[in-house]
Amino acid sequence: MTKEKETLLPSAIKNKEKRSAVHAKLKHQKKVEKRKKAKAREAEEKRALELGEEPPPRKIPRTIENTRELDETVCKPDDEELFAGNDADEFSSVLKQECIPKVLITTSRFNSTRGPSFITDLLSVIPNAHYHKRGTYDLKKIVEYAKKKDFTSIIVIHTNRREPDALLIIALPDGPTAHFKLSKLVLRKDIKNHGNPTSHQPELVLNNFTTRLGHRVGRLIQSLFPQDPNFRGRRVVTFHNQRDFIFFRHHRYIFETKESKQPESKGKGKKDKDAQPQEKVIARLQECGPRFTLKLISLQHGTFDTKGGEYEWVHKPEMDTSRRRFFL
Amino acid sequence: MPRTTTVESPGCPPLRALTFDVLGLVKVIEASDGQNGGAAKMVERWGDPDSSKCVLAASMLDRESDPLLGIARKCGSIEVISAINGDLRAHIPSLCQAEEASCEDDAITRLHLFKKHQSESSSRSCTLLTCSTKGHASMESIELGRSPEDAIHDRSPKKWNVCASGNILCSKVDENENYALYGGKSVEVNVWDLHECVKIWTAKSPPQNSLGIFTPTCFTSATFLSKDDHRKLVAGTDSHQVRLYDISAQRRPVMSVDFRETAIKAVAEDVDGRTVYIGNGSGDLASIDIRTGILLGCFIGKCSGSIRSIARHPVLPVIASCGLDSYLRIWDIKSRQLLSAVFLKQHLTSVVFDSHFRNKEVAGSVPDPQSVNEVESPEQVAICTKRKKSSKEHSGSKKVKSKKSRKRSEGNDY
Repeated sequence: MTKEKETLLPSAIKNKEKRSAVHAKLKHQKKVEKRKKAKAREAEEKRALELGEEPPPRKIPRTIENTRELDETVCKPDDEELFAGNDADEFSSVLKQECIPKVLITTSRFNSTRGPSFITDLLSVIPNAHYHKRGTYDLKKIVEYAKKKDFTSIIVIHTNRREPDALLIIALPDGPTAHFKLSKLVLRKDIKNHGNPTSHQPELVLNNFTTRLGHRVGRLIQSLFPQDPNFRGRRVVTFHNQRDFIFFRHHRYIFETKESKQPESKGKGKKDKDAQPQEKVIARLQECGPRFTLKLISLQHGTFDTKGGEYEWVHKPEMDTSRRRFFL
Repeated sequence: MPRTTTVESPGCPPLRALTFDVLGLVKVIEASDGQNGGAAKMVERWGDPDSSKCVLAASMLDRESDPLLGIARKCGSIEVISAINGDLRAHIPSLCQAEEASCEDDAITRLHLFKKHQSESSSRSCTLLTCSTKGHASMESIELGRSPEDAIHDRSPKKWNVCASGNILCSKVDENENYALYGGKSVEVNVWDLHECVKIWTAKSPPQNSLGIFTPTCFTSATFLSKDDHRKLVAGTDSHQVRLYDISAQRRPVMSVDFRETAIKAVAEDVDGRTVYIGNGSGDLASIDIRTGILLGCFIGKCSGSIRSIARHPVLPVIASCGLDSYLRIWDIKSRQLLSAVFLKQHLTSVVFDSHFRNKEVAGSVPDPQSVNEVESPEQVAICTKRKKSSKEHSGSKKVKSKKSRKRSEGNDY
């Protein structure tokens, strides 16, 4: 009888009170079991440490990220075609430091509230960036103007309902154009204990841009920044790709030497005398902001042209066959 | 339930396709059939990656013996190579250095290798028709020799100007190779008689719409509709329209069909003379019955980049498409199902089919009867190679043995 009851699914019970009671019981059992397992594991680790043995290897949790579907477009480090393609692409002149990146920032036709303050934040992040009012100009006209004035990229911030919601990055003079969805924007002034960045050229961190498309987007982002960072400034700008979302963060860092106490040296008198307090270098971060998340919607070949343009990549619903499939 | 991503591909029939990309590489893709269908894969790569050698246009002379490929490169030179092994047969250096300094502005957009011979001089000659963006068309014949240095091209090619202004973006030669059509940005579709080099027909732009708005003409792709009739043309425009022109009827389009929202980038005709395959800038591929203008259906298969070229296999019911997403995709016509997709790493510019693949395979395997089986399936191929290897090993060991025995015998002699 008891066995039968245990195998009985709570969802099959029709009486609600009974059902919820059984469910709660089951849940509690699971919780207890889990805790027991964790305790056992911890104890084993501790025992191994005391015996001086190798502790059992930590288990790696299975995430959506590390069970990603196999993708043939992931770049391999020994691919000569990739490097030849990189040398020939549109960003190579900036990335080889043949010319200094110069960025034009503009907005959509209407721009208010958070838009302008986001732009002031961006201007402090990207060196050699210039804000131009949009006015009533066509974007194609602006592209022409920027080409003439030797800009290397244009960033357009699109605002909807007084909230920035899209970002367009156009590489000049001949493309490509990336269209991102912008979300989770936190401005600098809204970040607690934020730092104020200096005018040094920042270091750039691009994480996890693995596929061909990811490489291209990564290089597009890379071409916005100067390629010779001032390490003295200790500023770092991060674009971290995780599950096709690109997270933007801006930090100041500092390396501090910290005296670390050693518990073993306390008991032994010999060591205490000669041993200087062990110096340990730790890195501390201070966020400068802004903070936002980007998601690629489309990558267009050539500069902005919605009518006759060719897309290198557009997201289509039929491509979402699995949640473990990523494109960047 | 998580949706699974495994595509049950029925597999391709045996075929051979060649693709051309922006780094100037030519890649050969072969599919071999088996019991459960073979997958297409890249078997050969010709050329070294070099961005100045970006292939702008390619044409194939698809014949039983000695098929040739004509390739127009970004640097202005034209190459004729063998479609079997990629050997260079003739090389025409760029003419623009001598005439004009601006090579970049006047790049070759289209190229055609003639099937039949213009002059009945010899079987080793081939005739090339090229057209540049500025509208300079020229026709020249090349005498092919044994090596690229031996190739002689005549010094006085036939030259004419297709348009005074605007850019030529598409051109096509009809099946009987008597007529050619040209079209492009602010150039209406026009048809030329290739024998006399005269323009015989020009289209007229459609009238303003009810709001009085006139859309500027921009043809991005065009083709002749049927094999034996040069009077019907299909053209794709920048304003996502597919237009059917009839030379014998009127100068305005007989019919025009809208397709989605981005520019039509590739148009290919079927052999039955009524179906047209269209590909657009955002990677949608569809077939249209052009007699009625009804959309027959779309080819769905995660195609994410602009389609640059569509090729119809002359015999088998398959089409191939390629474009900026750097995949070559092979589709079934009837079921509109994806048969195979090959990732080729670069932005592809065009694709052609080699329809005599099967014959060639048999012809190539005269000394070895086993290689007929080689086309069957990958497993069998593996077995075959294993067999070969083992046989080689055997023979090798035999040789060693025989040597040993010889040595022994020699030793005995001593």
